[in-house]
Amino acid sequence: MRLLLVLTILLASCATPPAPEPQPEPPPPTVVPPKENIAIAGLMETARTEAAAGNLASAAASLERALRIEPRNPRLWHELARVRLKQGQFAQAENVAARSNSWAGDDKALRAENWRLIAESRRARGDDEGARAAEEAAGRIAQ
Amino acid sequence: MARGKKLWKFLRFAALATVLAVAGFTLYLDIRVRSEFEGRRFALPARIYARPLELHAGLRIAQADVEDELRQLGYREAPPEGESGWFSRKDDSLEVALRPFVFWDGRQPAKRVSVSFDQGKVAALRDAAGAELALARLEPLPIGGIYPAGNEDRVLVRLGEVPKHFVQTLIAVEDRQFFTHHGFDLRGMARAARSVFSDRVQGGSTITQQLVKNFFLTPERTLQRKFTELLMAVLLELHYDKNEILETYLNEIYFGQDRDRAIHGVGLAAQFYFGKEVQHLGVAESALLVAMVRGPAHYDPYRHPQRALERRNLVLREARDQKGITLDEYAAARANALNVSKKTGTGTTPYPAFLQLVHRQLRRDYDEADLRSEGLRIFTTLDPRVQGAAETALAKRLAQFDKEKRFGQPGLEGAVVVTDPQSGEVQALVGGRDPRYRGYNRALDAARPVGSLLKPAIYLTALSEPARYTLLTQIDDGPFVWKSRGAPDWQPANYDKKFHGMVPLRTALAQSYNAAAARLGTDLGIERVLDNVRRLGVERPLRPFASTLLGAVELSPFEVAQMYQTIASGGFRSPLRAIREVTTQEGRPLTRYPLAVEQVFAPEPIYLLSAAMQDVVREGTARGLEKFLSMELGVAGKTGTTDEQRDAWFAGFTGDRLGIVWLGYDDNRPARLSGAAAALPIWGDMMAALAPEPLALARPERIELVWIDPQTGLRGGTSCPGSTEVPFVQGSAPSERAPCSGAMDAAVEAVEKGVERAKSWFERLFGR
Repeated sequence: MRLLLVLTILLASCATPPAPEPQPEPPPPTVVPPKENIAIAGLMETARTEAAAGNLASAAASLERALRIEPRNPRLWHELARVRLKQGQFAQAENVAARSNSWAGDDKALRAENWRLIAESRRARGDDEGARAAEEAAGRIAQ
Repeated sequence: MARGKKLWKFLRFAALATVLAVAGFTLYLDIRVRSEFEGRRFALPARIYARPLELHAGLRIAQADVEDELRQLGYREAPPEGESGWFSRKDDSLEVALRPFVFWDGRQPAKRVSVSFDQGKVAALRDAAGAELALARLEPLPIGGIYPAGNEDRVLVRLGEVPKHFVQTLIAVEDRQFFTHHGFDLRGMARAARSVFSDRVQGGSTITQQLVKNFFLTPERTLQRKFTELLMAVLLELHYDKNEILETYLNEIYFGQDRDRAIHGVGLAAQFYFGKEVQHLGVAESALLVAMVRGPAHYDPYRHPQRALERRNLVLREARDQKGITLDEYAAARANALNVSKKTGTGTTPYPAFLQLVHRQLRRDYDEADLRSEGLRIFTTLDPRVQGAAETALAKRLAQFDKEKRFGQPGLEGAVVVTDPQSGEVQALVGGRDPRYRGYNRALDAARPVGSLLKPAIYLTALSEPARYTLLTQIDDGPFVWKSRGAPDWQPANYDKKFHGMVPLRTALAQSYNAAAARLGTDLGIERVLDNVRRLGVERPLRPFASTLLGAVELSPFEVAQMYQTIASGGFRSPLRAIREVTTQEGRPLTRYPLAVEQVFAPEPIYLLSAAMQDVVREGTARGLEKFLSMELGVAGKTGTTDEQRDAWFAGFTGDRLGIVWLGYDDNRPARLSGAAAALPIWGDMMAALAPEPLALARPERIELVWIDPQTGLRGGTSCPGSTEVPFVQGSAPSERAPCSGAMDAAVEAVEKGVERAKSWFERLFGR
């Protein structure tokens, strides 16, 4: 991409021959959520069923089990934040949602969701101002 | 006459008193027997398990490692048939018959799975019918226990599980009249007295008496004790039926030592000596165990195989004569060798250092007495493969140093901690040169000066202020003197005894320059830096001295791991955990130790610091790592060496593991070793054996990468040779261009920015 741009500009400006290409370091690998692995999908499904049945501790355990397999999967962190919120563990819900955000990369929808979750959690523990700030953060991403 | 009457009266009184005393004593014994036997529950040790290996498609693990784990679990390599507990190899795949196991989240039934491998990864996982499986969880490896007094270990069995031939052989040898006597056996005693002159094997005590002896009495041999034993045996028989007494006896008998662990009961004996469940004991095996009842040390089949074999055959003969076993069974059993399983016993645990950590963490929530008696099941985070790699790497280097005498004399000690940076789970812990030693645990308890390992906290503090400090900010590494009242002047020198003038911040860290770090730290404020050390997870009090900044603070390798954990996980602190779950003996969940994270630093400074720590490995003091690992892995690390080279440290992380290595002497004498030369190679060997994942830092949104000309530290580009991309918090990158950077670079940048803007405009347009 960069080389292409350089060439285009070079051609357009008919400038001097190109200087030696700098040796770029390999760019940091972008954080793309890995292709859905069936082990992860299975554990997530289990976690959902358990959470729906009100068995939140088991749901969290299943998600942690999945996170040991894919620790950088922001979806898993998000689901765990959701369970923590249902458990009333607000501090954990917010921190885990932030962890999800740190791996979310370009997934704006997920990042907005995480901020909304943080807002919900802050509101639940009586921090209305913080909740509004989180909602604004969600709004900025969604724009 | 009167005297005779008096005597008579006295005798009557004495008789009455005696009867009363005996009755009282009997009553007392009766109460004791009933209350103790009734309330008697065998103290069962807490059983501790490693993490279970979870197989799934895509898992990076070599086939040989899976086979190793199965072998350690006692799986046999066998043709694919029969009871579960075997595996068989076929080209690039394994067929495994998993045994049932009760996990904390329920019982997992026995099942067949086939695992195929491709290039060090699990390629596919299928069930017996060939359908794709999402996950297969192997049972976890038992790694020890927390034992009752005397390190008694046992596995409880019910009478019905014990094979008939075992019971009959036992009775034939130990107590022929067991089912008919009332607690004692006069004929047996007489026979025992005669047997002194013959070669028969009978002893005089009944099974009931033996049980009473083990249960209630001290081992001294007096007439009074013998009398008490007899009385208690009769009382026991009065209150309980034969089967209850026999079952208790079977669980109580002592079968010898596994180093410091005492093997009790036929259930554990079957496992320990033959590697099988009690139900599956053969006639010859049962006879050997019965033979050992009389003297487990004397008839130890490992130490005295001939003696044990002779006594076993004697026992078989006795069982045959008493019709406990048939003539055919006798003939077949007699032809058998001892067939005890290969001695793998490691005493109470092969991983004493890790178990100490588990025990300490458990004690926060459980009574010591409960841990030692309730048979709790503790599921931990230990990864035997990682533990093995850590032990091997440490042992190998220490042996080499001993031989070369290059780094100090023998007696050099070391410790290793390995954790999972995402979850804070402790995967391995080595407490010293001898990993089996059950004593001083250097990983947890050796508080040592950390030297330069504290520097990242200084740079983190600086990078939290992007307006003042970037990775390229020039830092002064000129001579530095710290004056404070009441203390001698402090003048840190550099490792190479030189000063380097103005250097970019990331170079100061990469080369671990002391003067630069001390000046930067004191400029920022000692308290501020120490605050961040605490926020990283160090709980020990820190003295607010300038020298503390350069590591004049003593931490254990475990505390250092906690501190670096927070950096490795992107600024999220997780308490290091060694335990996942605790259940009752039956598998009912008691406590979970959940994953907990707390964001204690903004992502941007942590990202910049981690990138700078990658430079430490790429071009700084930890360059030597390239001999062990590919530079493409982007490992981040920091070396540490203390005054007079008393301590050598290396702390580093990959995408999937954080490791801390420490070397030094217990008596703190100079070891003449540096972190880079001595601790780093151990770290490198260990990680290389574990095929680490590359470190892919999650780039926060507010971090941008800018092409920088290395000569000037200004904006470069294609026309500046050697330009590299450097991360900056948005708005903190230099705005000025390097002279070499032409109009073209500016144009490229402008176009790139334009594309970025257009992209986001389109995104907004289409509501992505």
